[in-house]
Amino acid sequence: MTTLPIDNTLDDPTKRSPLVLGHDDFASVTNTICNVNERRRPPRAWYICFAISSTFLGILGILIGYLFWTGVGVWGNQNPAMWGFPIVNFVFWVGIGHAGTLISAILFLFRQKWRTAINRFAEAMTIFAVICAGMYPGIHVGRVWVTYWLFPIPNQMEMWPQFRSPLLWDVFAVGTYFTVSLLFWYVGMVPDLATLRDRATTKFKAIAYGIFALGWRGSMRHWHRYERAYLLLAALATPLVLSVHSVVSFDFAVAQLPGWHTTIFPPYFVAGAIFSGFAMVMTLAIPARQWWGLKDFITMRHLENMNKIILVTGSMVGYAYAMEFFTAWYSGSMYESFAFVNRAFGQYAWAYWIMVSCNVIVPQIFWFRKARQSILIMFIASLLVNVGMWFERFVIIVTSLTQDFLPSSWDYFTPTWVDLVMFAGSFGLFLTLFLLFIRFLPVIAIAEVKAVMPQANPHADHGGDH
Amino acid sequence: MAAASALPNENRYLGELGPKLYMRLGGLGILLIAGSYGLSKLMGDDSARFWRAYLVAYFFVLSICLGALFFTILQHLTRAGWSVVVRRISEGLVANLKWIWIGFIPIIVLVWTGNAHELYHWTVGADALPEGSPEQAMLEYKDAYLNPMFWTLRAAAYFVIWFVLARFFVGNSIAQDTTGDAKTTTRMQTIAAPAMLLYAFTQSYAAIDWIMTLEYAWFSTMFGVYFFAASCCGFGATLILMVSFLQKTGRVTQSITTEHHQEMGKFLFAFGIIFWAYIGYSQYMLIWYANIPEETTWFMIRQLGSWKWLSYLIIFGHFFVPFIVLLSKHPKRFKIMLVSACLWLFAIHYVDMYWLTMPSIPMEMFAEATSYEALSIDFPVSQYAAEYDLSFQFFDLTLWLGFACLMFGGAAFALRNQALIPEHDPRLYESLAYENI
Repeated sequence: MTTLPIDNTLDDPTKRSPLVLGHDDFASVTNTICNVNERRRPPRAWYICFAISSTFLGILGILIGYLFWTGVGVWGNQNPAMWGFPIVNFVFWVGIGHAGTLISAILFLFRQKWRTAINRFAEAMTIFAVICAGMYPGIHVGRVWVTYWLFPIPNQMEMWPQFRSPLLWDVFAVGTYFTVSLLFWYVGMVPDLATLRDRATTKFKAIAYGIFALGWRGSMRHWHRYERAYLLLAALATPLVLSVHSVVSFDFAVAQLPGWHTTIFPPYFVAGAIFSGFAMVMTLAIPARQWWGLKDFITMRHLENMNKIILVTGSMVGYAYAMEFFTAWYSGSMYESFAFVNRAFGQYAWAYWIMVSCNVIVPQIFWFRKARQSILIMFIASLLVNVGMWFERFVIIVTSLTQDFLPSSWDYFTPTWVDLVMFAGSFGLFLTLFLLFIRFLPVIAIAEVKAVMPQANPHADHGGDH
Repeated sequence: MAAASALPNENRYLGELGPKLYMRLGGLGILLIAGSYGLSKLMGDDSARFWRAYLVAYFFVLSICLGALFFTILQHLTRAGWSVVVRRISEGLVANLKWIWIGFIPIIVLVWTGNAHELYHWTVGADALPEGSPEQAMLEYKDAYLNPMFWTLRAAAYFVIWFVLARFFVGNSIAQDTTGDAKTTTRMQTIAAPAMLLYAFTQSYAAIDWIMTLEYAWFSTMFGVYFFAASCCGFGATLILMVSFLQKTGRVTQSITTEHHQEMGKFLFAFGIIFWAYIGYSQYMLIWYANIPEETTWFMIRQLGSWKWLSYLIIFGHFFVPFIVLLSKHPKRFKIMLVSACLWLFAIHYVDMYWLTMPSIPMEMFAEATSYEALSIDFPVSQYAAEYDLSFQFFDLTLWLGFACLMFGGAAFALRNQALIPEHDPRLYESLAYENI
């Protein structure tokens, strides 16, 4: 398998660039991708990463035990900032979980063929991110033995959650999103699981993959139903991409708190979520394609496209910042103006300027082709974007809570060591799941990638005229 | 180019129809607008009411042409293949943006001659308001932004930017018809990204400056996005109507197929119906939920008297009904159904602009009310009904038709000598062969 010297990043309007490089036939595609799972040992980097991430996962487990034992007082949440790190991290992780469904559903409906190389592991990442997010409300309730009160379950005390609260809508929105994303991910994976089953070298693997492959034999009828289901799930998942983070934004925007109550929040949160999600896909894709030899599938063109999406969504976020700031002034409301001036120049100015530099200024580097094609620059930028997006949630939540209407109740929020280490631990959970996924499941949608190769095109005889 | 040779044998030029269209529509448009003005003067109608109707019709056309600009830039930005065959018709609408400033001159004149007080309350200036009143304080505070000079300069900036963008995208596309140079496409693609940024800010601030400031005390960060979503609806419907009309006259019958109709229907459905509803709902729900008086007044005005029926009409006519009608692929591929839906949406988009622009009640009428209950008791219902309730005038209709005629006439003028599809676009072949899977 040699990589042909083709530069598929050239933007020639007379023809579409190839999306798969260096593969002349379908068999070599299957071999390369299955090799990620079938090789006897993963690369050394996998072991190192797994050791680190599972350590952090262990620490997270211990700290959750400590939290349950001692109570939520171990966190920095304290009057007036009763919402501290747990909700910041919740929103952060839900946001990360947006790219997967955007790539798999919206880009699918938009017929963006380049999505095929990255959709599988972006979807996996989505599911793991939503698991990290979902953990926080669960452990935040304090009395963990009544966590089920989050759900509207009929009970003899006739006690119900507050249906008028967006926090409950969140339970529904995130729950639906998780379910549909999981289904979408799994349905898309069935043909590839069957491939792994058929290639399995041990009885155990054959049975394990066989169970999840649901008896897939690749008949025409299977494919017909599969494509139907996939299209329907894409159509169902598309509104969910918008709804989840819109509902998350309602948590804040329905309140009367200055800095929270602004009507642009729903689309602004959605843009920010896609922005951070793509940055995380980038952070994970760059090492993955390197270590597992997937550069022919996740090509420079794919990376460049993702960088463009980061630029677009980063600019949308910039638009929202500008519009909020302008309107805060224009409204003539002293509380609104104060909230925004205070963000930029008050006690959390450091956090605000980290947010602006990482979210608005850093992505502007992608106006330049050189930067869009430099692995080092895009890797650093993707990390910075996620730093910026974490700080965005921190700024929105903490600045407005700590300094609202009454100066006498103002305070400064400081996280405790438990806050910080648990946040690091959530990365352990996320990465551990992700590394297990790479080891055991098909990381690239094998069947879909084949469909975007020239061989799959029945009209391929026009001599590259289109 | 090989692509051009693949073109089907069909009529792709307006030919004799061109002058007929732009002469008649242009003449009719000017006649209707001038006639409306003359007649309303003769009948001694309230001039503020006339100019509000004028603004509604103007925003209707402006939003559609801006929607066309967005669509055109978007196709270049995303390197779209399917849309090449319908892009030229959208460019016809974009070309109107070169001249659309002419229609705004009367409004600028009104502002500068001090005749716009009832239209844009802020033009009265803080000094004219009762000393020490909250209104005066508010207007003094906003004076830095809301003064005729800065307001006019901003308007000029928007028009210049739209002129340049329209000229660039329409001009290059037409030039490519003769040169067949693929580099033209590359150039338009490169400019598309900064153009999109310019578009986003100019259309948002135009919506703020010209529509939101009709009620100078009110504010919503979502307003620019709402206007954008609405313009996608107006444009999406207009594009399908124009294509269908041209096909009815026997033009571009081969190259634009059912597949493209379905695709245009999808654009209309996604941006003009669902996205519009999402933005409209979010804006309303957040303001309703927080229930802060300085924000709710804007919606309150639109729920009083007969206005509430207009609000219901928009909720059902702009979302629920078209959502159900256009959800499936079959109506999008069934021409009579699609065209009927577009005619309906073409009208409902006007109602949306009317709903945004027309209602106006002086804030003083709300001053006594501290709650919804108090509002219903203390509110001077009869005075309201006499002066501010929803009431249609003949010029609402004639101005709308007049401006619509000018818009279609302008598009016909821009395309009078041009092929109706970009014949040498490098992605033309892809577009001709496009199929929904």
